[in-house]
Amino acid sequence: METKIGVFLCNCGGAINNIDFDAAVKEIAKLPNVTCVNLSPNLCLEEGKEKMVSCIKDENIERVVVAACSPEFQEHIFREVLEKAGLNGHLFSMANIREQCSWAHDGDVTVKAGELVKMAINRVRLLQPVEKKELPVNREVLVVGGGFSAINTALQLSRVGLRTTLLEKEAALGIGNEELESFYGFDTSSMISAVEVDKNIEVLTSAQMKEVKGKIGDFSARIRKEGEEIFRKYGAIILATGYQTELALDSELKSGLNIVSQEQLCRMLRNSGLETEPKTIGFMFDFSDENSRFPTLATLNNALAAKKKWGSEVYVFYKSVKVDSEGMEKLYQEARDRGVVFLKCEARPRITADNGRVKIEAKDFFLGENTILACDLLVAEELLLPSEGTETLSSLLNIRKDSRGFYQDENVHLYPIASEKKGIFFIGGCRGDLDLGRVLTDISSVVMNVHELLSSGKILVEIERVKADPQKCVACLTCIRVCPHGAIQLVRTDNSKEVAGISDLACYACGICAAICPAKAIKFQGYRDEEILAQIEAI
Amino acid sequence: MRSMNGHIVAFCCEHSAYPAADLAGKLRLHYPESLRIIRVPCAGRVDVIHILKAFENGAVAVLVLGCEDGACHHITGNTRAKERVKYCNMLLKEIEADGRPVAMFNLSPNEPHKFVRALNEITKRIKESGR
Repeated sequence: METKIGVFLCNCGGAINNIDFDAAVKEIAKLPNVTCVNLSPNLCLEEGKEKMVSCIKDENIERVVVAACSPEFQEHIFREVLEKAGLNGHLFSMANIREQCSWAHDGDVTVKAGELVKMAINRVRLLQPVEKKELPVNREVLVVGGGFSAINTALQLSRVGLRTTLLEKEAALGIGNEELESFYGFDTSSMISAVEVDKNIEVLTSAQMKEVKGKIGDFSARIRKEGEEIFRKYGAIILATGYQTELALDSELKSGLNIVSQEQLCRMLRNSGLETEPKTIGFMFDFSDENSRFPTLATLNNALAAKKKWGSEVYVFYKSVKVDSEGMEKLYQEARDRGVVFLKCEARPRITADNGRVKIEAKDFFLGENTILACDLLVAEELLLPSEGTETLSSLLNIRKDSRGFYQDENVHLYPIASEKKGIFFIGGCRGDLDLGRVLTDISSVVMNVHELLSSGKILVEIERVKADPQKCVACLTCIRVCPHGAIQLVRTDNSKEVAGISDLACYACGICAAICPAKAIKFQGYRDEEILAQIEAI
Repeated sequence: MRSMNGHIVAFCCEHSAYPAADLAGKLRLHYPESLRIIRVPCAGRVDVIHILKAFENGAVAVLVLGCEDGACHHITGNTRAKERVKYCNMLLKEIEADGRPVAMFNLSPNEPHKFVRALNEITKRIKESGR
């Protein structure tokens, strides 16, 4: 029996005015399989949709073509209409006669519009239904890291009712959070005690991830804790491994001199019993690494604290001060008001030892003169680097890093906190230099994402939209190698043959595997070879 | 093989080139009416057979339009498409049909002007090849 195709044209309330719709309707009605052609001025409004539903039901239409605006806006709406009328949402194709036909050309474009509709009709004839199904997911979450962001994430996840494991490689949580505490007045220790009493949070310290398998909703991790192996299942993985800093100094300067890092200075400022208080302090930042948001913030905070506590003279050597964080402009102004001297230099200052003091020689950009400063303490420039385990973790999880070694932050199309694999998220310092406000935003958006994915314990997905035909698949592993989202694994069929199995949960439906499969075993519903070629044939 | 029908076939990635084409329409940037756009989920879905079949059906030129380098929604899709376009050019040369232009362009969804520029360039190439 022949398939019945219904074509719905929309003139967008008169916005499409250079197409002769009456002629087009007559032309389209002559095409094979086309049962009915309807013209409507407002297909996407409620009355248009209702008319569409009743027409589909009355005429027993099996497949639908809509010739209207761009599918970018309305495709999902019309899919819902089809489902309301009892058809599968995938038995549907759109012809873009507004943006890519009427609006792009002057003069009468009836012929082109007709051809676009014909292309869509040719495609829709071959489309196959795709069913939806709810798949179960594991509701537990793994948070890797034990710093401020990891602890905060775990607490927030617990609040929305998701069980969380904190995995920390050090012996205790919250190591290295002094800077945060003194800059922002956070009380990390109370957060840690809140974690310890929380029944939804399990803390694994001195533990390391050894192996991760699986996909979103079903990650299985092998964790080694003090010689013991622990096997766990998780629905999502959140990486909050932070960053580390390194002093940008020549190697001979690293020892013996009064050169410290921001963190060391911070600790000096917190301890009260210091033998000699430094009279003159020099700071440096933004010479070797342009990503100096965090060093700038630390400099301003530490300089102000040193002024207040010790009354020292403070000189800051910098290439440029970037005040793009919340409250930073104010902090900078305050530092200047309190007498911190800022010296802009184009080139990196020369640092030498001078009778137990540190001599800084720099050329001031505005004065154009050489400035020589002997200071008791130099806070050297800090480079931000990804923390030690980043390399191992990214190869374990098979996710990419950016050119600086942080987790990917450069691909503008991906959500900043999401990785290319569904169910793996990043927070805070492990994806670049972020200030506290940005870290808090990261935390809430990750928690929201994870909550949306896992809270109900199941996800509604399209089943077998992309599928490898077990008869044709020769298990050459090409698709497994090329899949950018790690959605394909080898699975065993009933007759113990190994074939590529595409996970419906992890698949983003990009079709890269379908194009590359040498055996042409992978079928991508909606974009199968036949369907693309049918459109070409209609041209 | 059908005789030339003068059409340009463009495979447009739904994350970049397809919205760019929509935007070009909205801004009333004019481009050749002979353009026929085929929407694909990623430039990496376009296979060699699709490009060759387009020529078999009488296209004068084929364009593959994907995301900018390093900004592909599916990480490697645009680089794979570029390699396939290169391979297609090699095949066409081998069968001495190298007057048929196949080209890959990278653009962002907010670059309708670049979309029109890509089309202008391909029309220039068609004219140069004397068809």
